[in-house]
Amino acid sequence: MEQLVELKLPNILGSEKVAIEKAVTIAEKMGFSMDKIEDLKTAIAEACINAIEHGNKFDENSQVGITFASDDTSLQVVVHDEGDGIDPKKIPKDRVDKDGLPRRRGYGVFLISNLVNEFSIEKKPGKGNNVKMLIHLNR
Amino acid sequence: MSKDIQVSTSHKGDIAVISIKGDVTAMTGEVIGNAYQSESVFDSPKILLQFDKDCYINSGGLASLIDIASEGRKKEQKIHAYGLSDHFQKIFHMVGLTRCIPIFSSEEAALEDF
Repeated sequence: MEQLVELKLPNILGSEKVAIEKAVTIAEKMGFSMDKIEDLKTAIAEACINAIEHGNKFDENSQVGITFASDDTSLQVVVHDEGDGIDPKKIPKDRVDKDGLPRRRGYGVFLISNLVNEFSIEKKPGKGNNVKMLIHLNR
Repeated sequence: MSKDIQVSTSHKGDIAVISIKGDVTAMTGEVIGNAYQSESVFDSPKILLQFDKDCYINSGGLASLIDIASEGRKKEQKIHAYGLSDHFQKIFHMVGLTRCIPIFSSEEAALEDF
């Protein structure tokens, strides 16, 4: 049976730690490996930071919604913001600058997409954005 | 927002050591940047970043470290790191930071390779 947990976070940098703590509790109970839990922590942190910064544009009257849905084999996390969100087309694909150094910004989506099994961004004009992440227990 | 970070500087011979404990984020990155800019570190040709294994690093913190790597390259400094957890070693590799800040398994290994 699917288990659902919902959180509402203030739109303040640092509040992502509440989501991380909840994710760890759920993931440990589900039996995720420590490696996967670390990946999940970073992915959720980056999704929340993006929601606060790019989605809600630091508006302290906005909130970040997080839904954890788990079953026997996987955990889905949806991070919701109330703003325009990130246009995936505007995320730089080239990760290195002309001097061969890593680019300074734009790692949130890059890290999320590399740390979870499935990832998508759903834009809902006027209703915010959902970043969906799925992480499987054994894959 | 937590600003939980402890940063200190010291020297081992001609190597400047920046010890970092806590949260490495956009908000605390300034503390690390200030340590790097301090007189005794900024002009050192060799810098060792000593991370605590429990450090939390997010993309804002990575940006601060990339700033140091960028400045270090301009000044032809060698910057090494050690102490990161396996997870954040993986993150450093993922974003390409290890190309300019190589990670070592121990302080001895990091110092020897300078």
